[in-house]
Amino acid sequence: MNTPGLRLLGAALVALLGIWAGLKAYSVRRAHEIPAVAVPAGVASAPNRSDGAASEAAVPHPLVPARLPDFSLRDLTGKSISISAWSGKSLVVNFWATWCAPCRREIPLLKTISAEWAGRDLKVVGIAVDYPDKVKDFAGRFKIDYPVLIGDQDALDVAAKFGMASPAFPFTVFTDRRGEVVALFLGELHRPQVDFILSEVQDLNQDRIQLPEARRAIAEGLQALAEKQAG
Amino acid sequence: MQRTQATLLSLFLLLGAAGTAHAKPWWMRGIESNETDFLPPDVAFRVAARIDGSALKVRWVIADGYYLYKQKFEVKAESPDLLVSAPQLPAGVVKTDPYLGTQEIYTQQVEAVVPYTRIDAGAHPIQIKVTYQGCAEAGLCYPPITKVLFPNAQPALVAPNVPPYPWESIAITAGAFAFLLAGLVLRKGRKLDVPA
Repeated sequence: MNTPGLRLLGAALVALLGIWAGLKAYSVRRAHEIPAVAVPAGVASAPNRSDGAASEAAVPHPLVPARLPDFSLRDLTGKSISISAWSGKSLVVNFWATWCAPCRREIPLLKTISAEWAGRDLKVVGIAVDYPDKVKDFAGRFKIDYPVLIGDQDALDVAAKFGMASPAFPFTVFTDRRGEVVALFLGELHRPQVDFILSEVQDLNQDRIQLPEARRAIAEGLQALAEKQAG
Repeated sequence: MQRTQATLLSLFLLLGAAGTAHAKPWWMRGIESNETDFLPPDVAFRVAARIDGSALKVRWVIADGYYLYKQKFEVKAESPDLLVSAPQLPAGVVKTDPYLGTQEIYTQQVEAVVPYTRIDAGAHPIQIKVTYQGCAEAGLCYPPITKVLFPNAQPALVAPNVPPYPWESIAITAGAFAFLLAGLVLRKGRKLDVPA
C-alpha cells in the first residue's frame, strides 16, 4: 500500500477508535446510572411488579406488538372476561389506576367516546391496574359505563404484553377491527388526539389505507398536535 | 481517493446516528407509540442519601415538568440495628386537581431529614428503604418507586439541573475530536504529496 493509503487507513483507525471510546464511555455511564440496589416497588397504594419496576435497564422491553395479544382479566363483578369477547371490533384499551390524576381526568372523555360509538364497530375497554375495591368504588362514583377489567400482577403482565413492562399510567392502545395494534398512546388523552387516531382507525377499517401508512400518519399527526399545543 | 473518503464519512455519520438512537426513552422507539418525551422514572426523580450527624438526609432532584407527592414519601430502616423516625419534610406546593383533590407536591428538589439511632453501634452498614411517587405535568404518573440506599456510600446530589445524560455529550465530543485528528493526518499527507 502507498504512503497516502497508509495515512488514510491510520486516520480512519484513529477516528473509529475515538468514536468507539466515546460510545463505550456513554454506555458505561448509562449502566452506572441505574442503582444496583433497586428493589421492587409495592408498599404504597398500588400493586407493582416484583422484578424492579422502576429500573430502566433491568427490564428488557419488548416492542409494541403488531396484533392485540390474547388475555383474560376479571371484570367489576369478578367474572373472567377474555379480550376476544370484542373480537371483530376496533378497541380503545385504556390502562389506568385510581391513584393517578391524569387517569381520572381522562375518564369523562373515554365515556364520551364510548357513548358516541355505541352500536358501531368500536369498543372502549378500561384495564385498571389497582385494587378491586378501589376500582369498584371509583367506577360507581364516576358512573363508568364501558367495560372495566381489573388486575394487579396479572394486569401488569397484560401491560407487558403491550411492550410496557415497566408501565407508567395512563396509556391507551388503539386497534383496528382485525386486531392490529395501530397506536399506543402514552399519557393523558385529549379530544384532538383521540379524534385523529380514530379517524385513521376508521380509514383502516374501511380499507382506505394500509397499516404502516396509518401508523406513520398517527405518529406524524400526534407530533404536529404536540407542537401546536406547545407553540 | 475521494470515493474512499466519502465512504468513510458515511460510516462515521452512520455510527453517530447509531449512538444517538439510544438516547430516546425506551417507550418512544416504535412508530406505534406517540413521540411525547417522557423521562424514565429514575431520570425524572433522582434520589441520594447521606449521613449528617444524628440525622440522615435524603434528597430528591426532580426534573423540570415533574413532581413528587408529599404524602407518598416513606423512609424505613433496612439495617437490623437501625431505628428511624418519620421523615421531616418541608411544606410543599398545594396542587388542586378536580379529579384527585388537593395534594402537596414538590418540584425541582426536596430533602427529607430522618433522625436515626443505632442499637449496636455500627455492626451493620446503615441501609434505608425509601418510597416515593410522582407524575409528569404533561399527564403521566409513575407507580410508587422503592429503593434501598446506603447513605454513607453515596454523595448527595447537589445540582438541580444536571442534564440527563452528560456522557452523551462527551461521547459526541470524543467522536468529533477523533474525526478532526483524522482530518489533520490526511491533510498532512496531502502536503507531502505536493511536488516541490
